[in-house]
This record gives sequence, C-alpha cells and structure tokens, in this order.
Amino acid sequence: MGRQVLENLSNFWPETVLTITVCVAIVANLIFRKNAKLISYISLAGVLTAGFLVTRQIGMSQSVFSGMAAVDPFAVFFKLLIATTSVVIILFSMYSAEVQATFKRAGEYYSLLAALTLGMFLMAGATNLLMMVLAMELTSLSSYILAGYTKEAPDSSEASLKYIIYGALSSGLMLYGISIIFGLTGATDVYGVNRALVSGQTSYIALLVASILIIAGFGYKISAVPFHFWTPDVYEGAPVTITAFLSVASKAAGFAMMIRFFFMTLTVGAPLSDGTWLALQGFEWNKILAILSVLTMTLGNLVAVWQNNLKRLLAYSSIAHAGYMLMGVVVLSDKGLAAVLIYFVVYLFMNLGAFYVVMLVANKTGSEDIDSYKGMGYRSPLIGVAMVIFFISLTGLPPTAGFIGKLFLFVALLDAKWIWLAVVGAINSVVSLYYYVRVLRNMFLRDPEGDAGLIRFSPGQVIILLVLLIPTLLFGIYYAPIVEFANASVLMFRIQ
Amino acid sequence: MIEQYYPIFVMIAGGVVFGVLMGKVNEFLGPSRPTEEKSSTYESGMEPIKTARERFSIKFYMVAMLFIIFDIEVVFLYPWAVSYKQLGIQGFVTMFVFIAVLLVGYIYVWRKGALEWD
Repeated sequence: MGRQVLENLSNFWPETVLTITVCVAIVANLIFRKNAKLISYISLAGVLTAGFLVTRQIGMSQSVFSGMAAVDPFAVFFKLLIATTSVVIILFSMYSAEVQATFKRAGEYYSLLAALTLGMFLMAGATNLLMMVLAMELTSLSSYILAGYTKEAPDSSEASLKYIIYGALSSGLMLYGISIIFGLTGATDVYGVNRALVSGQTSYIALLVASILIIAGFGYKISAVPFHFWTPDVYEGAPVTITAFLSVASKAAGFAMMIRFFFMTLTVGAPLSDGTWLALQGFEWNKILAILSVLTMTLGNLVAVWQNNLKRLLAYSSIAHAGYMLMGVVVLSDKGLAAVLIYFVVYLFMNLGAFYVVMLVANKTGSEDIDSYKGMGYRSPLIGVAMVIFFISLTGLPPTAGFIGKLFLFVALLDAKWIWLAVVGAINSVVSLYYYVRVLRNMFLRDPEGDAGLIRFSPGQVIILLVLLIPTLLFGIYYAPIVEFANASVLMFRIQ
Repeated sequence: MIEQYYPIFVMIAGGVVFGVLMGKVNEFLGPSRPTEEKSSTYESGMEPIKTARERFSIKFYMVAMLFIIFDIEVVFLYPWAVSYKQLGIQGFVTMFVFIAVLLVGYIYVWRKGALEWD
C-alpha cells in the first residue's frame, strides 16, 4: 500500500510543489516582512516549477489515488493553461499599484494565488464527485479572499461578500445534485456513475433534476446565465489582477470539470470512430447546455453595450465568451471539445492582455471608466495599438487569434448540424463589435479631457504587454501548433 | 424482535430512576443557601436578560475560528492514534505532513499577533 501511494505521488508532483509554495510563501512573509518582491519571486518560482512538472506529464494517461483524479492529456492541457495564467498574473501583480500598496500582506496574496492555482489544478484532474467538490471549494475559498484583498476599498469587500453568498448557494445546489446522483447510482467516481447509468433503469426525472442542480454549480464557476449575477460586481470590485485571473483560469478550470463530468458520466461509453459522443438514452443534456449557451452569450453581449466601467464591460464580455465556449460542448464531439480548448488558449492571451491594459491605465489615471480613455491612443500609442489588437481579437475578426478560436467553434457546430446555434453565435459576435469599438472610438477619435500628457511605461511593463500581444497576432496566422496540441488533448482517461 | 431491545429499556429505566433519585437525595440532604449570584442562569457569565442587539468585539470571531481549526486537528488525531499500529509508518508520515501544514498556520497566526487580545 505504501508503495502504491508513493507511485501515485510521483504523478502528483505539480500539486505537491504548489502546496509547498503556499507554505513557503506564508513563512517567508513572516521572516522577511518588508520584502514583498522576494515573496513574489518565490511564488513565481513555485508556479513555474509546477508548470514545468506538468509538461513532463504530457502523453500520460492514468488514474491516481484510487480514482480520485486522472493525469491525462485533457487535464495536462488545462493545467498548463492555468499555470501559464498564474505566471502571467504574478508578473502583473509585481507592477500593479493596487497590490503593491498593500505590501505588508504580500505573503497572503501570493500564497493564496498559489492555493488558487492548486485548487484549479485539482479541478482539471478530478474524476471523483467528492474530489470535484473539494477542489472547487479550495478554488472558491481562495478567490473569495483574493476578491476582497484590497479591503480598504469598500467595493472590494462588497465584491468578496457577494461572491461568497452566490458561491455558497451554488455549491450547496451542486452538492445536493451530487447527492441525488449518488443515490441513483451508488457511486461517487465518474466511471462508476456512468456504468450504473448505462446499465440500470434510472428515473429520468431524478436524473434531470440532479443534472440541473449540478449545472448550477458549474454555471456559477464559468459564469453562465442565469448563474452570472456575481460576475460584474466581483470583477469590478476585485483588484484587476484577480479579476483577470478569475476571468481566465477560474473559467478554464470550471469548463474542464464540467466537460469531464458530462462526457464521463452522461454519455454512452467511449466516442464513436468519427469522434462524436452519444448522450445517454433519452436524456439529451446537451440541449440544456445549448439553451444556457444562447442565454449566456446574448445577455452578456447585450448588457455589455450599456456599461461605462471598463472592468464591468470586460466582465459581461467574459460572460459572453463563456457562452461561445459552451457551444463547443453542446455539439458532443471531439472536434467541438478541441475547439473549446483552442478557444481557451486564444482567450488566455487576448483577455489577459485587455485586463493588463486596464491595469496599466488605472495605475496612471486611477480610473477604469471608459470616459477616462478619451484620447488614450495619443497619450500612449503603445497602449492604444495594443488595445485595438486585443479588442479586435475578442470580437473575433481576422487576422487575430480570436478569429481562429471562433472559426474552429463554428466549424464544429456546422459539422454537427447545429446551424441555428451557429447563427445566434455569429449575430452575437456582431453585437460585441459595437461595445468593443466604443472604447476604441474614445481612445482615438475623442480629445482627452483634463490631463493630456504622454503616459510612459517601464521596460518590464512593455515586455509583459508584448508577451501577450505577440501570441494574439501570431496565433491568428500560425495556428497549427495549438490546433495540434488541442486535438491531442481531448483524450480523457477512462476505465476500459 | 422486541426482546432484543430489552436491555436498552432496562438501561433507560435505570438511568431515569438513578438521575431523579440523586437529584432528590441532594435536595433533601444537602444544605440550601441561595444567593442572587448563585441562582442566576450563568453564575460567572453574561447577564441573561437584556437586549440581544448588543455589539461585541470582532475578536471573538477570530478566537472562535482559530479554535475550530485547531480543534479539528485534535479530532483527526484521535482516530489516527487509535489505529496507529495498523497504519504503520505510512500513517505516521501522513500525519506528520498534516501536522506540519497546520504548524505553518500556527506560526503564522502567532507571528501575526492573532493570539493576543489587544
């Protein structure tokens, strides 16, 4: 038994390293009280090491800790995505005025970031319903605190409290759904649940209720309508770095867990040879997700049009993007899954980039209002051009990476004959163009109000911006590697 | 079927009789010298009758949270101690990892001054 545990632990190195990082960051904060930089370097090193250890797991496919988690290409893909986001966010934090102003609490900030990353890693790999709940709680608890990290600002505390209330309700609903699933099947691991559902006669109504309750939990994590109410307030109140982190990594982890849950439990075994999956007899859960997807992208885009705060605008835009990505889950095919994965890679760069610009501008002007961006294109041409590229990419226009992400999603939809959904998605993209361009108009076609001086940035800040900007352009033209990687990463571990 | 539960009924009856008996014996034989302090609900605690909407220090929450954390540690220690021999060296190492993690938290709480009242 001891040997088995050690063997499992060897597949669990990334998570172990993150756990150690959490502890070291806390202790380092006590010893070096004045040195926030050191703690940020420690957490950066920890997350980088974890990311490196994840790359060693590429190609592995096995179950660890008696079916609690899986180390498979699917989990590895999302872990890499999360680790990359985490590294970028730690770099952001080093330049964020909001975070640097509270350097006395830096240890808490960075150790919670590492804990958040750990929770998301576990979410990406969890194959047991209990493990899923635990991982989600670890992620949620860390993000509640981080959302309220700048506790001197009232809206930050408000964000944290709202986040907790919504989070507690949805995880309660999800747990209830899981308890029903356990009652129906007598298993908590996804394979056991699937076996029982495929072979036995389960009550259709009970399964439907349980699935809807569980969707409430997942929907909250990926901020899908109608579980999205926390998103704008939390995104607006939380520090920009945390908002950016939540909008990318938290969503990715939620999607990873949701996809694994639905494809592993509510389908008829393995996919067919052409890569399509079959939903359980008589229970087409993908139609529920299709409705959610339409609601999510339509509401996200329509409400974003009215926003005057850029963080709120990006919050609604991230809701809309969750809707687009849900379309890839709805089609029930490997192609659709690959499209979701491609979209996430693209989304990582463009969304983090947009939030980074918001942070840089807020550092200088202290405002996140769209009005304060008037003339920004002339006050800082670099910021102006970068924002144009990120927003064009978020809209999904060529030659940026956002176009490639949308292209693969729509191809997957059309292949599976979900034409009406593709049409809704396309119309939504057009709507989104309006509110993105509204910001760009302020930047280039309006004269600056008040202070019109040039804004300069340090070399480090420019380098981080370029690190996000170049892939956003490059993947629009040279996208073969991410497509190949995504196609190889749709494999989920399953018991034969 | 019901005969199997016979000992339990005896136990309940015995418990009730013994409890009432002891209370009554105490009442008859013991000295009774009540004071105002002694007959109040919480002899050395707070006043039981007044408005419930009183503000009290947020420090109580901190103490309560810390108590729960370290209380749970002890709760986990008991089953480990009971099955220590079966778990062997693996259980020993696992438990020490657990305690080490908690120790980090304890040092943090201590150094941050959360254990001091003022």
